[in-house]
Amino acid sequence: MQLLKRAEWLALVRAENLQMKDEQSSASRSETFYSGALDRIRVSMIVLAVLTMLAAWVTYGWHMTVGFAVGGTVSYLNFYWLKRVVNGMADRITKTQRRESVWAVVLRFLLRYFLIGMIAYAIVLVSPASLYGLLAGLFLPVAAIACEAGYEVYIAVARGL
Amino acid sequence: MRTFSYIFMGLSAICFAMPALAQGPAAAETNWVAITSGFAMAIASAVCGLAQARATAAAAEGLARNPAARPGIQLALILGLALIESLALYTLVIIFAKVK
Repeated sequence: MQLLKRAEWLALVRAENLQMKDEQSSASRSETFYSGALDRIRVSMIVLAVLTMLAAWVTYGWHMTVGFAVGGTVSYLNFYWLKRVVNGMADRITKTQRRESVWAVVLRFLLRYFLIGMIAYAIVLVSPASLYGLLAGLFLPVAAIACEAGYEVYIAVARGL
Repeated sequence: MRTFSYIFMGLSAICFAMPALAQGPAAAETNWVAITSGFAMAIASAVCGLAQARATAAAAEGLARNPAARPGIQLALILGLALIESLALYTLVIIFAKVK
């Protein structure tokens, strides 16, 4: 009788352990999934840029395509530098070993706007027809973030992460 | 900091003063679209700057309180800043579409 009770208790403990392991693996899976969001956004930006450039080439001609390519490149660089600036700021706050000076972080943040302004000004001077393409290209990160949001909703519903 | 604010206040006063001095006796038709576009861009930039400052301050506070939550906070901050910046871009696009 005692042996039976002990076996039941052992089975119960084993089941609880399995459930805990399952919950832990589910949490780590979702953590891994959400930590890859920035990389997925980067890839989405590239894919969307190529597709939209092809569509712009067919529909509006090369002026608009060049403008969109420049705008897409600027927004990609802008997003990359934004990520680096936030990384530098987080390094400083959490006091990790790799520390950047405050001025470097601030200068890099301001330099982004300066570069965008310079490139937009150059485009306006060289080819005003490409301006709308440039403006459309600057919205590439928003489109990529929207794609990522849709993908995350799909994964959350389909896999329950 | 106070010196900077005095300098900026002085510069903005100069910016308002110059067009007033340059007005001639026979005023041409006022281009209200350009004027309102300028104000719209100024308001959008100011509000976006304020929003970015608040988001960054909240993220910095969160990181300082709980450094272990860094990946989540960092991701949210990057996405938030990118989306806030895009709001100023929307205004810019509308201005380019309206002001020829």
